[in-house]
Formats: sequence, structure tokens, C-alpha cells
Amino acid sequence: MSTVTEQITVSNPRDRRPQRRRSRHGAVSRALISLLLIVAALVWFLPFILLITTGIRTTQDFQTGGPVSIPAEFTFQHFIDAWTTGDFATTYTNTILLALVKVPLGVLVSALMAYALARLKVRFRAAVLFLVLLGLTIPIYIALVPLFNTVKAMGLIDNIFGLLGPYLAFGIPFEVLVLYTFFRQLPDEIFEAARMDGAGSWRVFFQIVLPLSLPALATVFILDAVGTWNELLMALTIISSDENKTLPLGMLNFSGQFTTNYNGLAAAILIGILPILIAYALLQRYIVSGLTAGAVKG
Amino acid sequence: MSTASSVPARTARRRLDEMSQHPWLFVLPAFSVYVIFLVSPALQSVGISFTDWNGVSPDAVFVGLDNYAHIFQDPVAMLALRNNGIWSVVTISVPIALGLSLAVLLNGSSRLMPLLRTIFYMPAVLPLVAVGAIWGWLYDPSRGSVNEILRSLGLGALAQPWLGQDSTALAAVIVAAVWVHTGFPMLIYLAALQGIPLELYESARVDGANRWQQFWHITMPGLRSAHAIVLALSIIDSFKVFDLIFAMTNGGPGNTTQVLGTWMFVNVFQYFNVGYGTAVAVIITIAALAFGIPYVLAQLRSEKR
Repeated sequence: MSTVTEQITVSNPRDRRPQRRRSRHGAVSRALISLLLIVAALVWFLPFILLITTGIRTTQDFQTGGPVSIPAEFTFQHFIDAWTTGDFATTYTNTILLALVKVPLGVLVSALMAYALARLKVRFRAAVLFLVLLGLTIPIYIALVPLFNTVKAMGLIDNIFGLLGPYLAFGIPFEVLVLYTFFRQLPDEIFEAARMDGAGSWRVFFQIVLPLSLPALATVFILDAVGTWNELLMALTIISSDENKTLPLGMLNFSGQFTTNYNGLAAAILIGILPILIAYALLQRYIVSGLTAGAVKG
Repeated sequence: MSTASSVPARTARRRLDEMSQHPWLFVLPAFSVYVIFLVSPALQSVGISFTDWNGVSPDAVFVGLDNYAHIFQDPVAMLALRNNGIWSVVTISVPIALGLSLAVLLNGSSRLMPLLRTIFYMPAVLPLVAVGAIWGWLYDPSRGSVNEILRSLGLGALAQPWLGQDSTALAAVIVAAVWVHTGFPMLIYLAALQGIPLELYESARVDGANRWQQFWHITMPGLRSAHAIVLALSIIDSFKVFDLIFAMTNGGPGNTTQVLGTWMFVNVFQYFNVGYGTAVAVIITIAALAFGIPYVLAQLRSEKR
């Protein structure tokens, strides 16, 4: 552990000054730390590696080699079978359809609210902000039973759009927090200039605030899509029939569906997680900036 | 005459114009959804928790605090409460310790940092159901990789049905939770480390402070607000535990891995003890709010500065 702070002081990327204290001892400890980190990362990544090696090998090869071995005979058949057995055509369609409606709508209403709270003279502003942010901490259980009744009264039980209202409500607090913080930091001069030109609040929102806030909107959009994509408890309560299942509901039954097919189970899990992993790899810049937004200041 | 008729028309238009600019119009769409689908159901739940409602019959009898009193006589609820405690302590402290160590170590190696950061945070974006499926698959008693790795290390005696026996089930789920939760504190600490001025280390070294002293006297105080945020969000998150337990053990074997969230779900949707299950939900929510309200107030205060 004694090498810990030296790492910060000596090789911080922002430190462009010549490194006076680079000694042989420092080089050795740096190499050891890198090695330690690589081993830790391999352990962290190992479940994914095992899923891939098991998913792409023949059952025969798996039985001779065991779960932790390098595959010798390859096949794509497990993925083809798992696609049908796991009913992915249905669950993917439902989840994508719901996310396509929910996420843009949620970001829009949250942006409208965040804009008014951050930039307009809203009555009860502090109270509304407090009430909405409180939603960040409220577990979904507490609303489950009455929500079931509300959705039932709307005739939307066992319908993916029955999830729309609850998902919107539970997404709003985080979206408002991130967007509100961002809108507060926009320079006041822009708003004064727009007011001098006689622009109304709506025009300011659509023509100035939204275009200036694309990074924050992208962050909120992506994190909300991840949340919608992954939600289980509400879907479990509202959805009952197979043809309306979302992706997490579909994956809940995997161990039952693939009891005798260990390779097929690996393939099915991979099909279930691949899109979100690809999206994460491509968009992680926005995810990281959104999650760390509150941590860096003050 | 013509001016007389157009004046009211103009004022009417202006009034309409002003109304369309009313700030509450911007607040209203999100606020009404929030009230209808979150605030109102949450308050209704408090009402339901004072009744013996079974979820089906049209009428429910007011039973006062009976449901709450019953929680303390229900051995499974007490076990669930204990499991929630274990869950919170372990899935908060271990990821924070690991995440802090990783952040401090990664912060030094600029070349490895982006790739390793991606890997350590990766499990956190997966649906928890998928995490449950992955670890259930790894823990498979006969063909799972966990037991296979133990056997190949000569520790075959330790191979066991991790999720299928009382003694190991909760710990096995917690391992999966640590895998998921370590990435978040790491990201926060990595971001916060960027904010510590390097000059502080420089002058500490001049004063003869060793690296261990630098860590405790510069790095740790510099991360104070990051600690607060990580701790608050981890605590709030830990009260929401449901998906992983539900997907991996469904509270079993027996009821050994029940937490309050899964026990609430069983009572409401399997036993139709809706009043009782809702009382359990109210208890979790009060606990979450006890930590959540200070967090929200701190967020609002830090924003004002």
C-alpha cells in the first residue's frame, strides 16, 4: 500500500513536469501494481470469458473438456437454439418498443420540469424540487400494490404500456436532478439576451436550452434507457403472459428452460446481455459523466 | 367602433399568451405523472398497511398497527431483517474498499486506465436478472465453473451446491452483488481524485511525509465529499435489494435468503397478505428515507453555493 500515493504523485497523467523521483524501486512497484490490476481485471472479466467459451463449443467438446478449458470444437448452433427457446424475438420486441416510447417521453417531460425549476419563477419551487428528488430514495415496493390497482383501472394489466406511467414516474427524479444541475450552470447572459429579444419561455427552451444541453440530454437518455431495459419488479407485477414479457422477465426463466443444456444457457445469457454491453462500450463516456456529475463538485 | 371591439380581443389574446408562458405549464406534465404513479401510490400504501386487505375482496378491515406488531413476531421477517443488515454492511463496505483501492491504483497507470475502468464497471450495466443467471450458471453444482476451478486447484473438497444450501446461499449471492457494485465507487473516486491538487503531495513530500501518511492526510480528506456521495447512494441502493435474490435463490432454500423486499413480494402476491406485505414495504421505505432525506437536502444545499 505504501506505493499507492506515489502512483498518484509521480505518474498522474496531468503531471507534465519531469519526474525527478523515478527510481528503480519506483519502476518495479509500478510494474507490480500494473500486474496486480491486470490479474484483478481478468478475474472480473472471467465470467464473460467462460460464457463465450462455453457458448461457442459443442456439447461433446464441453463434456470432455469441462467448463474451464479451451474449446476445440466450435458451433453456432447453441445460439440458434437459444434464440428460439429463450423467446428473444418477443422479449426484445417488447423491451425495445417500450424503451422507444418511454425514454424520449421521460427525457422531454423531465427537461421541461428541470428547465422551469432551474430558470423560471415557479411557485413552490423548493418544495417541488425536494419532493421530486425524494423519489431518488423511494424503493418501488412501497408503490407496488396501489400501482397495480391504478394500472388495472386503466385496463393496462398484462400490457407493456401499463409499465409506461410507473417507469416514467420512477425515472423522473434522476433525470430532473441531472438536467436541473446542468441548466443551472448555463450562463445567465444567454437568458437575458433572449428575453431582450422578446423570446418567450417555450422558444428559449426549444431553441436555446435544449441545443446547449445535448451532452446532458445524451447522458440522461442513455442512463434512462439502461434503467428501462433492466427493470424487473414492476414488470413482474404488471405483466403475466409470455407474449408480453420484457427481456428481464424472459431471462428469469432461463435456468428452468435450459436445465439440461449448460451450453445453451450460456448462449442464451450472451444473447440477453450482448446489446447492452455493446451499447455500454460505445456510450460509456456519457454514462461515466452522468454518474460522476455530482461527485466532483464541492 | 372597430377599436372598441378589438381591445378586449387583444387583451384576451395577451392573457392567453401570458397563460401559455406560465412556468407551471412546464412543471405540470412531469409533476402529474410523478404524483399519480409515485407519490399517491406510496401514500395509499401507508393506508393499506393499517388494514387486513387480501388484495381480492372489496372490503378491508382497519387493524391499526397490528401488521407492524406482527412483523416482530414473524420469524421470517426477522430473518429477512437480519439478512438486509448483512447485505447492506457487506455490499457497501466491500465494494467501497475495492473501488477505492482500484481507483487509487488505476489513477496512476494512464495507459491501462480506460480499458480496466471499462471492465470493472461492466457488470453494473447488466440487468440484475442477467447477473443472477450468470452466477447461477457459474455456481451450478456439477457443471459450474466455480466448483470446476476449485477441483482443478486441488480443493475439490470445497466444491458444493453454493446456492442450494443454507450455509452458503446468502454469501454466494453477495459475491455476485460485490461483482456488480464495485464499479460505481471506483468511478466516483476516480473522478474525485482528479480534483486533488498535486501541489499538496509535493509539499507533503518536502515535509518528509511518507506515502502512507500522504494517503491518510491528503488523499482521504480530499475524497471526503466523494465518500459522502458513495456512502449515501450505496445505502439507498442497498435498501432496494430484490432482483438478485429473487433471480438467484427466490428467498430459498427454505426462507434462508429472504430479504424484506422479497418477503414483501411473497406476502402480497403469493399469500395475499396484502396489508401485512405492504407494512413490510413501509418499514423499508422509512429506513430508506431516513438516509435519503439528508442526502437530498445536501444535494440541494451544495447546488445553492
